[in-house]
Amino acid sequence: MFKLNLKIAFRNLWRNKTASFINVIGLAIGLASCLMLLLYVSYEWNFDKHFKEAGQVYQVMTNFKDANGKINGTGDVTGNVIAGAIKEEIPGVEAISRLGYGGQSLIANGSSSFKKEAKFADPDLLKIYNYEFIAGNPGTALNDPKSVVLTERMAKLLFPDGDALNQSVRYDDKTDLKVSGVIRDLPSNTSNRFDFLMPWSFYETLFDWVKDPSWTNFNWQTLVKLDKHVDLNLVNLKMKGMMELHQKDTRAESFLYPLSEKHLYGKFENGKGVGGDVERIYLFAGLALGILLIACVNFMNMATAKSEKRAKEVGIKKTIGAGRGSLIAQFFLEAMLLTMIGVLAAIAMLELLLPTFNNLLHIQLSASVLNGGYWVWILLIVLITGLLSGIYPALYLSSFDPIQTLKKKAVRAKAVPMSLRQVLVVGQFCFALLLIIATLVIYKQLSFIKNRPLGYDTNLLVEMPQDGLLQGKYELLRTNLLKSGAITSMCQSSMSISNEGSSFWNFEWPGMADQDKQIVFNQIATTYNFIKTNGIKLIQGRDFSRNFASDTAGVLLSSSAVKIMNLKDPLGAKVKYHGQDAVVIGVFKDFIWGSPFYSDRPMVVAYSKNWNGVVTMRLNPANSLSQNIDLIKTVTKNINPAYPVEVKFVNELYAHKLQAENTLGVLSNLFGGLSIFVSCLGLFGLAAYSAEQRTKEFGVRKVLGASMLNLMQLLSLSFMKMIFISVVISIPLGYYLMGKWLLKFEFHTTISWWIIGIAAIGTLFIALLTVSFQAYKSARANPVDALKYE
Amino acid sequence: MIELKNIEKYYANKGVKSYILRHVTTSIKEGEFVSIMGPSGAGKSTLLNILGMLEDPTYGEYEFMGENITSLNERKRIELYRNHIGFVFQAYHLIDEMTVAENIEAPLLYKKIGGSERKSRVADVLDRFNMVAKKDLFPNQLSGGQQQLVGIARALVAQPSIILADEPTGNLQSAQALQIMDLFKKLNEEEGITIVQVTHSEINAGYGSRILHLLDGVIKEDVATTV
Repeated sequence: MFKLNLKIAFRNLWRNKTASFINVIGLAIGLASCLMLLLYVSYEWNFDKHFKEAGQVYQVMTNFKDANGKINGTGDVTGNVIAGAIKEEIPGVEAISRLGYGGQSLIANGSSSFKKEAKFADPDLLKIYNYEFIAGNPGTALNDPKSVVLTERMAKLLFPDGDALNQSVRYDDKTDLKVSGVIRDLPSNTSNRFDFLMPWSFYETLFDWVKDPSWTNFNWQTLVKLDKHVDLNLVNLKMKGMMELHQKDTRAESFLYPLSEKHLYGKFENGKGVGGDVERIYLFAGLALGILLIACVNFMNMATAKSEKRAKEVGIKKTIGAGRGSLIAQFFLEAMLLTMIGVLAAIAMLELLLPTFNNLLHIQLSASVLNGGYWVWILLIVLITGLLSGIYPALYLSSFDPIQTLKKKAVRAKAVPMSLRQVLVVGQFCFALLLIIATLVIYKQLSFIKNRPLGYDTNLLVEMPQDGLLQGKYELLRTNLLKSGAITSMCQSSMSISNEGSSFWNFEWPGMADQDKQIVFNQIATTYNFIKTNGIKLIQGRDFSRNFASDTAGVLLSSSAVKIMNLKDPLGAKVKYHGQDAVVIGVFKDFIWGSPFYSDRPMVVAYSKNWNGVVTMRLNPANSLSQNIDLIKTVTKNINPAYPVEVKFVNELYAHKLQAENTLGVLSNLFGGLSIFVSCLGLFGLAAYSAEQRTKEFGVRKVLGASMLNLMQLLSLSFMKMIFISVVISIPLGYYLMGKWLLKFEFHTTISWWIIGIAAIGTLFIALLTVSFQAYKSARANPVDALKYE
Repeated sequence: MIELKNIEKYYANKGVKSYILRHVTTSIKEGEFVSIMGPSGAGKSTLLNILGMLEDPTYGEYEFMGENITSLNERKRIELYRNHIGFVFQAYHLIDEMTVAENIEAPLLYKKIGGSERKSRVADVLDRFNMVAKKDLFPNQLSGGQQQLVGIARALVAQPSIILADEPTGNLQSAQALQIMDLFKKLNEEEGITIVQVTHSEINAGYGSRILHLLDGVIKEDVATTV
């Protein structure tokens, strides 16, 4: 029986090629989206969970409070002494380690040197993470201050043809370290990634500020592994007063948060978790399931539209003794078969498109074909999809009464619930239209933000890290670069102009009120030519200049800073910056430093020779780009030979800020396009079927003198009505939802009528094109062909 | 085998009842070959459908092999289809997606008969109807007469006790029609299968042992034929 049903199912698929094609393509697209979603979710879900006993690992988080004791921020940073305190005061701590960020640091093996991600940690980190050691002893790897643990990739890079263990590498062109271990590469869904890991004891020898015990220098992370029987709530109760106990006047308190939840639920408001990246999963799930649902609806619609054909078969089978169960089973089998074919196509699609998709979303998914769990999920999806798309046709078709279907002119009109089909089509197009409106609004918002005046000139602006000797020999570098003609101006600063990096409070100025101490300012430290190099607009005063010796104690204020400080005459005002006396020498127009969607804090640009980190240069427009870059590389390498030269374009760095919204735009564009495509496939199938059914009617009408246009209208109108209803439903809905989305941003565009117009007219046009193709075909047919039967 | 008592069938439309069958009372014994005749609209097909349990009478009692049909549930009815009733239709009603052999095999599948017996029974029937060469063809590759032969073969393969045939030769040329009627007669006489057919043709009716004449839903005449 099963074999026969399978055979019949195949023959049915073959006989109705258009319908099968539409169903398979639709299902394949829907399933591919779902499989993609599955990979994505499992990638995100397993963030920080891939090592042993990951559930017992916690991150020490800190809540920051304002003067009134209200929590106004939560972060994963701590001082460097809380680890010791927790170890002593909290029972059940199995391991605890501080984690220091080394950034992109130089690591060299005699001949070749690389800049790679570095981290510093206590030896306990190896107990927390259970790294898989390829070489070396995890128990002792970080005990010696002059040791380093490499990842497998790093080890291969440094020692391409040999054993890395016990070899010597040079860190930061200063210190020789012995390789004490090589571990397997960390999966990309790990929060604390590094290429090489060095002992905290070594870290302390590098910087005094690391060595000085501090509760409030929030520069590091702390990871804890607790015994599995420990109650987190009790621990956190004890943690609550810990900081204030040790350090009077702090306005912060720490608590433990599961490390594995940090990635997806890393957003805090008022000290309480309020979701986070998990929203991206919800969004993606909604989109993928939506597409799959559209494909299932296509299947249902095609199956029920064909019901007249199938009804006869059902009737006959019932008279020769088929029970309803066996008929339902047969129709399910057909749905499953189609889904299976769809899933095969989907897997092929997935393999093909995954790299592109990874690029779009900046993640690293891989379809692990060998993974048994993956196949179980696929099977589950096939089953659910088959059930979803098969259940309605199976129940509906198997319910036919034999006598109605076998009598020649069966009362079909009543038996087919046209209205449900219409509702489903309307639903499909509503979903598609919503996505199209969303896409248009997101892109409009992006272009709005891109057009916001930056406040500095990114054109021909490049920067590079101020590594190694570039700090001491900055003046030499400047002279040589200017002489080479590669640049017209340059400055050093504490951080990049492209991205917000530092803030402070307790700024003092004449006439301030007491609570003004709480105002948080952004800060950049620089030396000369900051304004000139970056192309920032000066409103009053001047840039830092060598001509004024007193400028070394000067600050520049942003115009919003002047406003909030309420300075009538800012130039020459005497302020206290980090307790040091300083004089305001200039006021510049605000520029975008943080998120371009929101306004920045007021800003102070101060003079400091020692707080440096980034060299910003304006390229010489007289030369070509590559010429300039080559010159910069040569000159820099001469001065600072140990380090590779990394020149970055500031406009590219700036573009990263729009990444999340860009991704959203790409996703809604992709899924919007797909859903319109799959919906139109379904519409095409329905129109084809309707045209086939009305061949005779068309023939009669043609004989009676109907023109081709009359006939095309006849067929198209009934379909266009449904699309029109979808437009009417989805436009106010889209307007409302996207309006709400826009309100999330301080700077946002408005939804203009042309967006609605394009979405509505575009959809109507595409749908019309789809339907009229069929209408044209059947209107063109020779009426004799239609009428000669019977 | 079949007992009909006071069977009525009508459709009520705006309070007006339009009768299709009135006061039909008759019985059909095992081994009979009954032809139902009458002009168009007399209720012949409705009567046959009621006999085949495809339609329910509005009123009256119907016993099939001693069982009251009017109170029969779906499962029991399907059992009867599987074991006792074979249908033959004017439009053949073969399943287009199945080959000749598969069409014939289908009732046995529903009857849950084992694979080897199924094979042998299908082979047997094919052989008997001289259709072995055509067993892998699809219905649309056969002539009308051949299709109807497949239809009858399908009705027979489950070894029913009764065959209900609704104008089995209505779509056929006369030569093919005679062949089918000969087959019915042979089945009736040699295997004792009860046959009830609806027909327009006096000649076809002549093959049977008894004729029910229907007019406006009422049995006007019930005569035995003499050969």
